[in-house]
Amino acid sequence: MPGVQSRQFVEGQAKERREQGTFSRLAELLANQQVLLLGFLVVMIAAFSMANPRFLSLASFGNVLQDWAPAVLLAAGQTFVIITAGVDLSVGSVMGLSAISAAMIGRSLNEGGQPPSIAIGGALLGAVVVGLVCGLVNGVLVAYVKLAPFIATLATMAIAAGTTLVITNGVQVGGAPREVSRIGSSAFASVITIPVLVTIVAVGIAGLVLKFTRFGRWTYGIGSNRFSASAVGISVERHLVKVYMISGFFAALAGLFVYFRLGAGSPTTGLTMELTAIAAVIVGGTSLFGGRGTMTGSALGAFLVTAVISGLILAGVQPNWQQIVVGMLIVLSVITQQVTTRRKL
Amino acid sequence: MLYEAKNIVKRFGNVSALDGASINVKAGEVVGLVGDNGAGKSTLVKVLSGVVQPDEGQVILGGEERYWGSPEDALEAGIETLYQDAALAADLTISANFFFGREHLRPGLLGRLGVLSERRMNAETRESFAQLGTQVPDPRRLISTLSGGQRQTIAIARSVAWAKRVLLLDEPTNHLGAYQKTQVLDVIRKARDQGLGIILISHALPEVLEVTDRIFVLRLGKLVSEGPTQSYTPDSLVRAITGLTV
Repeated sequence: MPGVQSRQFVEGQAKERREQGTFSRLAELLANQQVLLLGFLVVMIAAFSMANPRFLSLASFGNVLQDWAPAVLLAAGQTFVIITAGVDLSVGSVMGLSAISAAMIGRSLNEGGQPPSIAIGGALLGAVVVGLVCGLVNGVLVAYVKLAPFIATLATMAIAAGTTLVITNGVQVGGAPREVSRIGSSAFASVITIPVLVTIVAVGIAGLVLKFTRFGRWTYGIGSNRFSASAVGISVERHLVKVYMISGFFAALAGLFVYFRLGAGSPTTGLTMELTAIAAVIVGGTSLFGGRGTMTGSALGAFLVTAVISGLILAGVQPNWQQIVVGMLIVLSVITQQVTTRRKL
Repeated sequence: MLYEAKNIVKRFGNVSALDGASINVKAGEVVGLVGDNGAGKSTLVKVLSGVVQPDEGQVILGGEERYWGSPEDALEAGIETLYQDAALAADLTISANFFFGREHLRPGLLGRLGVLSERRMNAETRESFAQLGTQVPDPRRLISTLSGGQRQTIAIARSVAWAKRVLLLDEPTNHLGAYQKTQVLDVIRKARDQGLGIILISHALPEVLEVTDRIFVLRLGKLVSEGPTQSYTPDSLVRAITGLTV
């Protein structure tokens, strides 16, 4: 009965193919850094909760969110930059300069007798302009002056940090309208403050732009093969300037977040935050060589990095260990990235 | 003539890469551009594609003298170039590469916000490849998962599909296996039959002799020989390229 035999054979083959499909899907899932990340997060939360049951409380979740928000804001802008195969080292300092600018503008408008809405509006606008201008400078240096992103943004980092110290003399800037800290601390569901909500919306929009728009497509394409992008007629220079301006804009939002949280401007705002932001992006699976990465990964990465830090504190580990742990996380995720990409090739 | 470059001179510092080079192509014709390493072939292609601006000489498209300030100018005029070592973005999908820089957007408000229409691009990619008779995998696959030959085939299919008037191919069969080479030559013939003017730069002289209608030979930046392909033998072509009489 040759017909039956061949049908059996075909069915057998189909079954084999199905099984292969399930297996390769499983392998793909394991190779997906976001899935690994989620698993790691679950394990970590379980471990920290065992070490200190307070870790699994709403209050500590609220605290983690307060640390997560500025980190994820910086990471969101940084994701665009790193996908173009660049890096923005200036985000921490720009965040600080934006926070201070907001505080100084808010104070002078407030003390000048302006209503709180005008004072707050001026503070918001001032911070955003500072962030965009810093981003513009970075973008022009990278795209048109052709400096290596590392060098260009290192220079901006130094200039922004220095400016913050010069204009504040290293002293905190108070005198904000009382509404500032009220907005910063009023919470829904006892943990979601207005700035946290704004953070989630802003990062969400950034993620949609990256994934679904032509702007996002060009960002990946330029990072993947810059020559290809210019050969098809894309103005790579103009696009890079926009990308660094996005990073500057998000640094300003992060600065504003801290301003609303403290109700004042602190000259130490954003210190070493570039490290946290870059760690979040890399832990989230974005390739330092450009062309690959996701916003979800960066958001998860930022959560992991900030949750590790507060978990360690709750577990009674000295705060000085934070930087070491962040550094180790970067090494670990770069190794994971290399192993998974090698498997794919 | 569809597209012409006349007496092109291009110097890089003290070195003159092109020293009075010329080439031309008619619609529905394949022209070969050959020469030894350093003869100026790639520079001449870059002049034709707007990447390099010549110091002297004319570029004429459809009887009209043109000036390309950038590759975009030439692209807009319908001149498509396939560069040496195919310029695909490995981290993007096949269809994203196919439509790179010319993406379809969703209709309406979403489109105005820059939202891509992936479904339309995937479908049109499939269609274009089918028209050229190229076998391609799922347009949603990443370029990084394809072999070198597949990538090259896709790169060529992309430039053929987008070329409106002229197609410049810089070493399109480099690094390809024998079977893929014949596929590429088939695509070139199909593109010619569609009425494109094609300039083919290649080291592989048997291919040039097989697929072209006319041949231009460059040596040290100068045009040293041109004529119908039938007037060359493998030996006479090598002699023209090297300038040696054996």
